[in-house]
Amino acid sequence: MAVVDRNGPIADAWTRLADEEAVSKGASVIVSFARLKNEHNSLFSTAGAVGVEIPGDVNLDELEPFLPRLSVIVVRMATMRDGRAFSIGRLLRERYSYGADMRAVGDFIPDQILFLLRCGFTSFEVKDNFPIDSLKRSVAAYTAWYQRASDRATTVAELRQGANPNGGTS
Amino acid sequence: MYIYDQFDHAITKERVAEFSQQVSRRLTGELSEEQFRPLRLMNGLYLQLHAYMLRVAIPYGTLSSKQLHKLADIAKKYDRDYAHFTTRQNIQYNWIKLDQVPDLLAELASVEMHANQTSGNCIRNVTADQFAGVAGDEIEDPRIISEVIRQWSTFHPEFSFLPRKFKIAVTGAPKDRAAIQYHDIGIHIVKNDAGETGYAIYVGGGMGRTPVVAPLIKPFVARADLLSYLEACLRVYNLHGRRDNIYKARIKILVRDLGPAEYARQVEEMWPMTRAAGVDVPAGEVARIAAFFAPPAYDKILEPVAAFTAAKAKYSAFARWVQTNVHPHKVPGYGAVTISLKPIGGIPGDASSAQMHAIADMADTYSLGEVRVTHVQNLVLPNVKQADLFAVWQRLGEIGFAEGNVGLITDIIACPGLDYCSLANARSIPIAQRLSQKFADLDRQHNIGPLQIKISGCINACGHHHAGHIGILGVDKAGVELYQLTLGGAGDETASIGQLLGPGFTSEDIVGAVDKLVNTYLDLREKPSETFLEAYRRVGPAPFKESLYGRR
Amino acid sequence: MAQAKPQNKILTANRLRNGETVYYTAAGEWSPYVSEARIATTAEDADALAKIGAAAYAANTVIDVAVIDVNPGAGAKPSHIREVIRATGPTVRVDLNKSVAPPQR
Repeated sequence: MAVVDRNGPIADAWTRLADEEAVSKGASVIVSFARLKNEHNSLFSTAGAVGVEIPGDVNLDELEPFLPRLSVIVVRMATMRDGRAFSIGRLLRERYSYGADMRAVGDFIPDQILFLLRCGFTSFEVKDNFPIDSLKRSVAAYTAWYQRASDRATTVAELRQGANPNGGTS
Repeated sequence: MYIYDQFDHAITKERVAEFSQQVSRRLTGELSEEQFRPLRLMNGLYLQLHAYMLRVAIPYGTLSSKQLHKLADIAKKYDRDYAHFTTRQNIQYNWIKLDQVPDLLAELASVEMHANQTSGNCIRNVTADQFAGVAGDEIEDPRIISEVIRQWSTFHPEFSFLPRKFKIAVTGAPKDRAAIQYHDIGIHIVKNDAGETGYAIYVGGGMGRTPVVAPLIKPFVARADLLSYLEACLRVYNLHGRRDNIYKARIKILVRDLGPAEYARQVEEMWPMTRAAGVDVPAGEVARIAAFFAPPAYDKILEPVAAFTAAKAKYSAFARWVQTNVHPHKVPGYGAVTISLKPIGGIPGDASSAQMHAIADMADTYSLGEVRVTHVQNLVLPNVKQADLFAVWQRLGEIGFAEGNVGLITDIIACPGLDYCSLANARSIPIAQRLSQKFADLDRQHNIGPLQIKISGCINACGHHHAGHIGILGVDKAGVELYQLTLGGAGDETASIGQLLGPGFTSEDIVGAVDKLVNTYLDLREKPSETFLEAYRRVGPAPFKESLYGRR
Repeated sequence: MAQAKPQNKILTANRLRNGETVYYTAAGEWSPYVSEARIATTAEDADALAKIGAAAYAANTVIDVAVIDVNPGAGAKPSHIREVIRATGPTVRVDLNKSVAPPQR
C-alpha cells in the first residue's frame, strides 16, 4: 500500500492498529471508530496523534465530539461505486468544519480522485501499482467547475460575473 | 437557445480530452472493464447486443438546426445512417465503435453537444416540456432552470456515484407535458399566493420494477433557493439510499421506506447547510441564462390566416393533420408542429440521416432554426407560421413523416427492445409496427380518439408502459416472448400507474388482444368525447378483462 | 439410467475495440459469424470454452463473454431468441443484418 495526495506519493507516518493491539507512547495511530468511542481517553493521552477509520454508514454526530483532536479521518469506500464518501467528505468539511487530513481508502480509480479532492479529501491510500501519471493527469483535467464544493474552487458563475457584463470575454 | 460561452466550451473540450484518455487507458488495459464500465456509462456508452450504443444528450429536448445537421452527419459517418430518438429526449446511435468515440465526441463538442451523464448512477439529462416557450399556458419557460440544473449537475463531484441513476424533469405549465411525477425529482413551476414564481418539488417517482407516482415533498421553493434545495435532496439520498440491492437503490424506495414526510424533514435539516455553502447561483447568472430563452422576434400576424384556412378547406387530410399535429402557439398566426416519427409500420423514434437533414432544413426555413424532441419520441418545429403549415406538411410527406397521428393510437412509444438492447426480454418494435398497421385507418383512429400505447421490452420500462393508457410489457417465459397488458396508466398531471390485466399473450395474439380492448372501449363509452382513459377510470378493469379472458 | 445428453455450447463475446459480436472458432480466433463457432458437446468442452473466454476477457480482447446454448446438430444455431437476434442483427432492420456464415469468395 502507498499513500498519495494530488501531486503523487507522500510519506505515510501512520500505523494502523487492530482493536486488540496496544498503543505505543507517542505513536501516530489509526484506530477503528468503535475503539475510538470506547478508549478515547487513553488513546488521546498515550498516542502522539490519533486517526480513525469510519465506514460509509457512519453517524457523524457520534464522531463530532472527537473531531478537534483527530489528525486524520479515513473514509472507506466499499467499492469504487460506493459514493457515500463524497457526501461524508463534504459534511465533515462544511457542516462540522473538520480541518485536518481526510483520507480515502478503497477500490477507487485515479479518475475519482479529482472529485474526492473537491469533496474535501486530502490523501488517498492506494495499491503500490497505482498509476501516478493517470492521477496527475486526472486532477488537472478541468480548469473550471460549474458548482461549488468543499474545495471552494471558483465557479463558472463567479467567473462569468467577473467577466464582461455583456457576456463577452473582454 | 442557450449558447455556450468560453467556459462551457472549455469544460466540454476538457471532457472530450478526459474521456479520450480513459478510452486509451482501457484499450491499453490500464483500466479493467469493471473500472471502465462506470466511466463509459457516464458518457452514455453502453454495450448492446450488436455493438456499442452511444446516447447523446439533448438537454431539455431543444436542438438547433445546426445541431440536428451534425447529428445526421454523425449517423452517416460513425453509424449506419440512422439514429433513434428516445423517451428521455436523447438520441441514440446503435453501431458505435469504441475507438471512434473520441472523434465523435469532438464533433459533438463543435456544435455545443455532448454525451455527459446520459447513463450511469449520476444526475441524467434533464428533460422538459417540448412546448417550452411557445405554449400559451406556461408560467415560466422551463428551459431556464433546466439549463441552470444542467450546469449544476454536470460533473457534480458529490453526486457522480449515487446509489442509482437520477432523473430530473421540469414542466412550466399547469398541464404536465414532461411526466414529472415519474421522475426521481419532478419540478413543477408554480406561482405562490404572493404571485411569485417558484418550484413545487416532487421526489421519488419512477417506472421500472416498482412504479411510483412521486409525492409532493415541497410545495414551493423560491427560484434563488432551488439548487441548494436539490442538493439537500440529493445528499440525503446519496447518504441513505440503498446500495445493497440494485432493484431497491432508486430514491423512490428511500422515500417510500422513510415516508415522504420524514424524507422531507431530513431534506429540511440538510438544507441550511447546502444554502450556506453557496451552492445557489447568483440572480445575475440566472438572468444571463434566461436571456437566451427570450422570445424570438415573431411577426405580427392577424388571424385568421386566409391561405391556411383555404388549405384546410381544400385538403381534408391536411386539416386532419393540423387537428392532431399542430399545437396552439402563444403568438397569433403561429403553430407548434409535432412531426410524428411514427409512420404506419415504421420504427418509433427512428430517423435516417437524410430525414434529419430535411427536418433541420425545414427548421431553418419555417421554425426560426429550432427543433424539439418530445418524450413521446417525436420531433417538434416550435415556431411555424400558420401560412407555412401547408408547405411543411407537404415536405414532411416527401420524407415519410406526415402521419397525422399525434396523440392517437398509432403514436406508440416503444423501447428498442430485444432487437437491440442487451437488457431486454422481448422485442418491442415489431409489436409497435404491427399495432400501427392494425390501426392504420385514420377514420378509425379519430373515432377511437386519444389513446396512448406504450411498449417496454423488459421491466426497466424504458417504453413507459406503466404510464400507457394501454401498456404492454414484454417478458421472457421459457425462451418465448410474451406480452402482458396494463390499463389505465397516465403520465400527465393526473399521473397513475397502469394495472396488470391478467396472463400475457404471445406475439401473435397481442395485437388481437389490443383490438379487443379498443372495441370494448368503443362499446362502453358514454359518448364519443369520453376518452379511453376516462372510460377506464369510470368502469374499471372488469369489462376489459372479460373481453380478453371471458367471464370468471 | 441414461445421462441426459449435454447441451451443445459455443463461446461468444463482443470485441473490446469496436463492440462487434463475435464467436470463438475451432481455429482459435474470434469470428463475426456464428456458424464458424467451435461447438462444445461435453461439459468438459464447455468448461474449456469458459476458460478461454475468461482469458480473452482478462487480456482485454473481448468483453461480455458468455458460453451460450446452441441446438443439437452440425452448424452452431443459437437456441435462445436473444442469441439468434445477436447472431444476425435486429429483426426490424433486415437490411442491416449479417449472415451467419462468411460471404463466399
